[in-house]
Amino acid sequence: MTAEVVGSRADVKRARLGDAILHSEISQFLAYESELLDDRKFHEWVEIVAEDFVYQVPTPRTPDSPFKPHYDDRSLLIDESRWSMTTQWFRRFDEDIYEAAWGENPPVRFRHLVTNVRVRLTDDPDVYEVRSNIALVGTRQSDLPKYITGERTDRIERRDGELILARRWVVLDQVVIDFPQLRILL
Amino acid sequence: MTMVEVPGEFTVPRRSWGDDEVFDREMQQIFRHCWQYVAHESEIPEPGDYVLRKMGRDQVIVVRDESGQVRVHLNTCRHRGVPLCRADSGNASHFRCSYHGWTYANTGELRGVTYQADVYGKGGLDKKKLPLFSPAQVDSELGLIFATWDPEAPSLRDYLGDILWYLQLIFGKHPNGMEVVGTPVRNIVKANWKTEGENLSGDGYHTTITHSSAFDLGLFATQKDLVKLADDVAPKFTGRTVDAGNGHTMRIQRLPLRLQGNHYFGYPKEMWAGFDRMLSPEQQQAMSCLSVGHGSVFPNMSFIENFKTNVDGPDLHARYARITVRYPIDATTSEQLWFFLAPKGADPEWARLSRLAYLRTNGPSGLFEIDDTENFVGISEASVGDVSRTLPVIIEGGKHHPEAPPELGWPGNVVDGDKTERTIRAFHRRWSELMDLPAGDAAGTGAAR
Repeated sequence: MTAEVVGSRADVKRARLGDAILHSEISQFLAYESELLDDRKFHEWVEIVAEDFVYQVPTPRTPDSPFKPHYDDRSLLIDESRWSMTTQWFRRFDEDIYEAAWGENPPVRFRHLVTNVRVRLTDDPDVYEVRSNIALVGTRQSDLPKYITGERTDRIERRDGELILARRWVVLDQVVIDFPQLRILL
Repeated sequence: MTMVEVPGEFTVPRRSWGDDEVFDREMQQIFRHCWQYVAHESEIPEPGDYVLRKMGRDQVIVVRDESGQVRVHLNTCRHRGVPLCRADSGNASHFRCSYHGWTYANTGELRGVTYQADVYGKGGLDKKKLPLFSPAQVDSELGLIFATWDPEAPSLRDYLGDILWYLQLIFGKHPNGMEVVGTPVRNIVKANWKTEGENLSGDGYHTTITHSSAFDLGLFATQKDLVKLADDVAPKFTGRTVDAGNGHTMRIQRLPLRLQGNHYFGYPKEMWAGFDRMLSPEQQQAMSCLSVGHGSVFPNMSFIENFKTNVDGPDLHARYARITVRYPIDATTSEQLWFFLAPKGADPEWARLSRLAYLRTNGPSGLFEIDDTENFVGISEASVGDVSRTLPVIIEGGKHHPEAPPELGWPGNVVDGDKTERTIRAFHRRWSELMDLPAGDAAGTGAAR
């Protein structure tokens, strides 16, 4: 369920980079997806996410060698599904309960900055492995903004002609995370 | 041991959560003397394995030496003070300083001084006198490694006292033992180091308010969930709190199920017999039908075992175990470490569910933590004003709750009553003893005792 699902570096080497039109289409998709998150339009976000969507963030660490990854996928910071995010994250913003969702009322303002989008084709013509760099800026109440950066590896699929987000794996750069809250959709 | 609660006002001035002078005194009076949790033995199973941790504001290396003994060393070269370890974890038989190359065995002995004869002359430096600086005592119970700088401190077993019985409930009931799963998550919380520990010490009062939305989301067992577990369900959850002495505390809340025999809901049935083997009858009673059990080891370690419902879909319930530690950074900033523990050799499907139960509720990104943290941060934010810092907090809840029947057989001072602040009083009673502030000082606890 963890690292192996998003393709190893070796798989990536074999894959071809997507062409310009596809790159543009997927970049636009990611920008639109970010807009939905920044605007807290979660019910619309869910519509562009696969039923079996999995979102995982492994624990960042400082390893004892430059040849080891700066994360540990035995332990996770976040492990969510579309079901859990719908029922446990987004439900908290519904009219009937948001007032007691203390940690998100008032909500932290998030700004997603998605750059360096790399589209890789896979053996399945309708499945793309998309890597991008993410900077998330979070501003809580009157505090100064804080930011966190990382690398996303997304699986984006074309189902019935439409792009959907099927999987997201985010490796963070910061080891001791200093951010307004850790319930973050990077 | 009996500790009688004195009626009257129990207050702590709010500057205790945001004042630099109080903080500096805590570093001296508490963190240089108390035993502190540094690591779990499963994190360093092999000779040479090490993890980097903190005791107060001092970074320490926790390492298993070549003979298998666990050692703790201040992470700084005796020569000019450069840290020896820069990775969070790894394996090393020796630590070599990057500045002038002094080299230490993982036992802490200084083994090599580069160009020694050239720089210091013959006999000019006695390596035996310069081992890595280490805590006065290091010991472990139930796989939990603690250390203290104080040679006069009581033994770990005496320091833990009655809380050890309660630690066994969580960390001592698995026949194959437990292990920390991977690297701990670390984050900065803009809150005083005490706030989360106070909550986890046994604050059953905040739950239905702070975590109100968790009820709506199905993460607390409701009557709908409970009737599927037992035919006979009582309307109300019941809880007990324990003042285990030395500032250590525990709260145990039970599912309102009327059942014969032990039912460790949240674990696969195949594991239940093992718990009966490992725990005494009184301990089995404490863990059967557990809703939640949590507590704190003074000063900055907390632990929790929690039964969480519907975590990955309807009727998918599991228990999990977690340790958290707060490292003080300044009066309004802490670093928090999050350790998820799993029984060794557990069924992988259940282990996954246990992990999800943890991450989605009391994990660093979990629902409960998001709401709790806002309170903890708020306390420090609102305790640094020139007026607000002079106000007392009110920690009076649960003074009228009755003592638990002695035949229960739980050690420490045990009281029936779930919505209480007596564990927070127990923390602050110990805190104020150690802080040893003059009577009437604004940081004292007034009529604390």
